Amino acid sequence: MLKIENLHATVDGKEILKGLELEVPAGEVHAVMGPNGSGKSTLAYVLAGRPGYAVTAGRISFQGQDLLALSPEERARAGVFLGFQYPVEIPGVNNVYLLKAAINAARKQRGEPEVDAFEFLTLVREKMRLMRMDESMLSRGVNEGFSGGEKKRNEILQMLVLEPRLAVLDETDSGLDIDALKIVAHGVNTLRAPERSLVLVTHYQRLLEHIVPDRVHVLVNGCIVRSGDRTLALELERRGYDWLISEAA
Amino acid sequence: MSPAMTEQIRKEYGAVHAALPASVIEPARRDEAIERLCAQGLPTTREENWRYTNLRVLEHARFAPLETQGQAVPPLPEAPPGFVRYVFVDGLLRSGAAASHPGLTVRSLRTPGPSSSATWCPCPDFPEARLALLNEAFATDALLIEAHANAAPAGIELVFAATAGAQAGASYPRVRVVLEAGAELTVLERHMGAPEAASLVNSTVRADVGENARLTHYRLQQCAPRTAWFDTLTAQLAAQARYHLLTVGTGALTARSTVHVRLAGAGAELALSAAALADHQQSHDMYALSEHVAPNTRTTETFRGIASGRARVAFNGKIAVRERAGGSDSRQSLRGLLDGPQAEIDLRPQLEIYTDEVRCSHGATAGKLDQNMLFYLLSRGIAPQTAQHLLKWAFLEDVVARIERTELRRQIERDLASQMSAAATLKELL
Repeated sequence: MLKIENLHATVDGKEILKGLELEVPAGEVHAVMGPNGSGKSTLAYVLAGRPGYAVTAGRISFQGQDLLALSPEERARAGVFLGFQYPVEIPGVNNVYLLKAAINAARKQRGEPEVDAFEFLTLVREKMRLMRMDESMLSRGVNEGFSGGEKKRNEILQMLVLEPRLAVLDETDSGLDIDALKIVAHGVNTLRAPERSLVLVTHYQRLLEHIVPDRVHVLVNGCIVRSGDRTLALELERRGYDWLISEAA
Repeated sequence: MSPAMTEQIRKEYGAVHAALPASVIEPARRDEAIERLCAQGLPTTREENWRYTNLRVLEHARFAPLETQGQAVPPLPEAPPGFVRYVFVDGLLRSGAAASHPGLTVRSLRTPGPSSSATWCPCPDFPEARLALLNEAFATDALLIEAHANAAPAGIELVFAATAGAQAGASYPRVRVVLEAGAELTVLERHMGAPEAASLVNSTVRADVGENARLTHYRLQQCAPRTAWFDTLTAQLAAQARYHLLTVGTGALTARSTVHVRLAGAGAELALSAAALADHQQSHDMYALSEHVAPNTRTTETFRGIASGRARVAFNGKIAVRERAGGSDSRQSLRGLLDGPQAEIDLRPQLEIYTDEVRCSHGATAGKLDQNMLFYLLSRGIAPQTAQHLLKWAFLEDVVARIERTELRRQIERDLASQMSAAATLKELL
């Protein structure tokens, strides 16, 4: 599904990713963990194609195609979804419009007709129930006046509606209380499927209690320094990152 | 103003004044207006409150009024439901329901009628209102709208169409709106024109909102691309009066609006919302003075302007709180969006406070499209052009969403989208 080779990326001229290697097969959930400043969010943004995140070397292949050759919107339509750490508020553009426009953009790419209005609303309502979101939120501006937890739930709602091939969730657990975390995790788990891959970028092991990963990778100073199964996350929880940082140095 | 222009205005006035209708404005008042204007001079860009206005268009203008009857009226947009329409062509009333509505009197002063205390109104006397003197001297028609005490809510639409070029003369739309105590009225004022005409329009509107009365005033400046549009609006609010003024400007080559609202009665409220969308070489300039004279008065001012191409959008909003206006509350939110390296936005929030115990807040920002918002939309598969249109749309919605009449709001939204060449990309929203 996703194969990253020797990825180097800079932000404002500073190298953040320094030869990162990562492979996520279809159907698997991988967690990328690491201390602050290790490059986790940069990796997420590079995958989504954010301007200002320059790839200076390496390649990323997504479903066999060169991801780096695609613009951000082309990546989204091809099935890459980024769940933002800090979802943006866009007053004046309502949630339902965004959802519909996003669905139709992907359908158009696949040569499919626009989504039927009734079918669309049925789908959105069903997913909203799953995320325990109030329907009134649909007519509100995107994330406008949402609490931190509501914003994160809204990210997952968008993901559930768009059904991406690859979802990269950037610290989706940050700022969530335990109840919200469970709702978000439940939403993510419903999307687990053999044809879909998930990359969870997170600081803490807590999220991984609810979304059990197939693999855990530790990112330190722009490189994956260790990979393992879910027990690696437990070890990190116990020992912190320092031992890996000194090993990497 | 150069002596040559003074001379020209005097000469033109001398040539036409005998033919100007006395029922619209008495000859003595016209003479006085010309004298005052010549003594004060036309504004120049050297003056602080005119520095962003394109005044060059006046240099080659003919100031005498057009006396045209029979010009082709450009296609008019559909009248929104609930409004009775009055159409003016080059300043003269062309059509409109003659009959009065219950509780409402609407009449053109060009046809002599019963005298009314409301017909007389002093020309505003402040430096920014000098162009109103020109209107007072030359106006060929005036519409008087009176909503009588406790009249039921009503809607009046005024369409001002300019069809002739400025070399033939100017048009002087003139409106007086009077709401007696407890009346409720919505006025929709639309300025437009024949597509090819490089017209000069100089309008004045005076509104008096009585105690507990409520005036909702929508103003759409949709003039033809080569038009020069000048406008002076003055309003006086009595105790507990509410005035909701909402303007959307998209047209004209150069547009300047001067607004002065006096909150004269305790508890009066002004909600001023303005949106401007300018492209190419357009220049849109608005000067708004909200003057709190009485206690517990309130102003909420919102401006959103987008400048693209080589356009300039300026908003100069001044809120003055006088000595007796304790307990007043004013909020100002001015935002400009620069869409292109050669576009210009000039925002100027001003507060002048002469008393204690008032609340005033203001904020002004000008910048480019928010790159975080843009990327968020792209990351959801939205095409870059659609995303940009969407964000500009959302920016203006801060103002447009305040239009309470749904049909009218939709019409304006469609106009804005087509002005942004975004009618196709935003069709889902229209």
